[in-house]
Amino acid sequence: MAPPVLFSEALALGLASGPACIAACGPVLVPSLLTQQAGFRPHARYLAAFLSARLLGYLLFAIAVWELGALASMLPALHMLPRAFLMGAVNILLACVLLWYAYSARHACGQSCSGSKLVNIGATTSHRAAGAVALGLLTGLSLCPPFVAAGVRAAQLPGVVQALLFFTLFFVGTSVWFVPFLGLGCLVRNQAVVTVARMAMVLIALYYLALGIAMLMEKKAYGY
Amino acid sequence: MSLRSKLGYTAATLTVLVALLTPFVLMGLLSKGFAGLGLHVDEMYSGGPKIRTVPYAAYAVAIHRPVHPHMLQNEMPFVQLDWSPASALPAHVSDTVDIDGDGQPDIRASFDVPVDPKAPLRVDVDSHNPRYEAMHNAGKERYSRLIARVDNSILIRIPLAHP
Amino acid sequence: MATKACTPGPAPAAPRSSVRALMLTLPIVVWSLLMFFHPGTNTDWRSRTAAAITALFMTALFFMMMRTHTTYRWRRLFFVALGVLFPVGFIYNLVLARGTMGIPVEEMIAGRTPFCFMPIPTLILPAALTRTIVFPGSILSAGGASSHAIAAMVGLWLALTLVLGKGWCSYACFFGGIEEGMAAIPARPRLRKLDPRWRYGPWAVLLAMALLSLALFEPAYCMWLCPFKAVTEYVAARNLVGLIQNVIFVLLFAGLVIVLPFLTKKRTQCSYFCPFGAFQSIFNKISIFDVRIDQARCKSCNICQNACPNLSLSKESIARGETLISCMKCGACIDACPRQAAVWHIKGTQVALKPERARLMFLYAAWAMAILFGGSIIAQGIATILHFLA
Repeated sequence: MAPPVLFSEALALGLASGPACIAACGPVLVPSLLTQQAGFRPHARYLAAFLSARLLGYLLFAIAVWELGALASMLPALHMLPRAFLMGAVNILLACVLLWYAYSARHACGQSCSGSKLVNIGATTSHRAAGAVALGLLTGLSLCPPFVAAGVRAAQLPGVVQALLFFTLFFVGTSVWFVPFLGLGCLVRNQAVVTVARMAMVLIALYYLALGIAMLMEKKAYGY
Repeated sequence: MSLRSKLGYTAATLTVLVALLTPFVLMGLLSKGFAGLGLHVDEMYSGGPKIRTVPYAAYAVAIHRPVHPHMLQNEMPFVQLDWSPASALPAHVSDTVDIDGDGQPDIRASFDVPVDPKAPLRVDVDSHNPRYEAMHNAGKERYSRLIARVDNSILIRIPLAHP
Repeated sequence: MATKACTPGPAPAAPRSSVRALMLTLPIVVWSLLMFFHPGTNTDWRSRTAAAITALFMTALFFMMMRTHTTYRWRRLFFVALGVLFPVGFIYNLVLARGTMGIPVEEMIAGRTPFCFMPIPTLILPAALTRTIVFPGSILSAGGASSHAIAAMVGLWLALTLVLGKGWCSYACFFGGIEEGMAAIPARPRLRKLDPRWRYGPWAVLLAMALLSLALFEPAYCMWLCPFKAVTEYVAARNLVGLIQNVIFVLLFAGLVIVLPFLTKKRTQCSYFCPFGAFQSIFNKISIFDVRIDQARCKSCNICQNACPNLSLSKESIARGETLISCMKCGACIDACPRQAAVWHIKGTQVALKPERARLMFLYAAWAMAILFGGSIIAQGIATILHFLA
């Protein structure tokens, strides 16, 4: 068993990486939260589903790479072509989910509205979870820099269980930074807020789509 | 006149006063206040602060602190080296540089210095230390991998290998 | 639709006498002289002539505002001049300093990219979390094509915002004039039916760009969506991505700044797209001046709603006796209302009690700012034209 100091390191690394995690997940999480019902509970439920799926994405990736026996050697390589390829594919998938989300939220104009398949305003719980889980899983797989750093550290641990525990504590550290997102629950929901969120989702989706295609084509994302 | 009205007119008068004071006092005060916040321009653009200067014959190479990308910035970490003054550089430069200051050469940079300051530049970097990536015939490819002439300096940004 | 029973509107105010209008204009004459002819400026005949023309222009417009009791059409003349002359002076300076309108990477590294106010709202999150400005400029002036460094522009913006609130978009913005000019050309709109939900567009662009600027740590709006890159400076395209960026800039400019304003007679870029405008709307909450609808006089004829160039009035807001948060205090609704129900107002005071007093106080403050900021830009544009003519 790894020493407790290692796990406090995982927690500290997670806490220190919070701003980067917020930055990475913000463009996906904020607009999707804004299409939810107002209130603390719906936001807490959505965040829980989103973060759980994000953790699942982390752990699945960690196990897969560990089982391949190449975590240590593969992570640096992920910065090269395979990483660009994976990131490109994830960005395109994220864009598709966001577009689907924005389309599904078209009927969401207030707490009494219905018709949405993904958004919780008038929709069933399973649909609500599906949207959050899809976005959480994809952001979990998007290999943000703190995740890569945690992966490198976890790779030095003697066993897969310790590595998973390390990742979990790292995840807990980062998740503390997501608590302020619950504050969006206080924002009143009306047609204006939901429309703004949907339009923002489309713009962000187009951005991710362009970025994803550029990564798949191995093109630079800058024009200078 | 009610108290609210009096407060309203007082605030409006103050606003007109603020407008009159803007060019003489307020604008400078607010600008200085902002500059005093301690913010800095992203080092991906500025190249980071200089930490050391290595003198050569008629010129010197300034070594900057390594720059690491923020958030999901689509760049590699890099270190910037400035050859200056560019006017004192020979027609062809081929220098070994000890970047980390451990007494061992880390890279060799080779580039031509055209007379026309607007002429495109190309650089070859041989790496003697696995921490620094080699570059072959690199131009202005990314912020983290380029050679460019800025004022009277020629600067090179060398990507750092990942840990 | 049934109209409300209401008290008859007052007769339109008769024009002021020229002497009285001149007296009211005197403070602006003094201010213009102070701003345009203070020591150390105007070193050659071109800049002196440009300063004199601009001072005369700004003073004449204010005189007409005083004489006619109307605001919008005179302000619009200033605003169109600002919008048209800004690119003239700016591009000339760029070409003089660096030989091209494209931003070379060398200038970005040197921190000499001119900083305009547009990216301010999208830079707040990265600055708050990392103390870093995600823009290739300089906090203090680094020379080159950028005479205004980031601190100077932020200081100016803060000061003007304290005075004007969202009025920035009518008295200071050097981009909106082109579309306002385009909107003024046709006699009536050719395109009337636009989904009112598009007015949420600026907030969506603001939200998306603020989040993406933080995530990707780049000035996302400047890199991808700013229509005014088409008439100021653009990414020096060296690859396919750069080409795509420039195509986006040109298409957005052509669509939102040229074609749609002409078809709708509205400032469509401001109404449907501009993230800075959305951000600036928040400051209307702290601005002491606003525009109100006097319910006792209003007949719900919606003339004011049709006249508003920025979609800042809706049936619901008129029923509440106020404008939407996006009102930029241009005065179009006030000048258009045949019953003088739309009025200038100072918060806290009784609506429509002394609207001319509120108007005068606002206009003195706003015009002083217009001369300070916009006036200097107009003068620079005129000096550039004189340079080419002489």
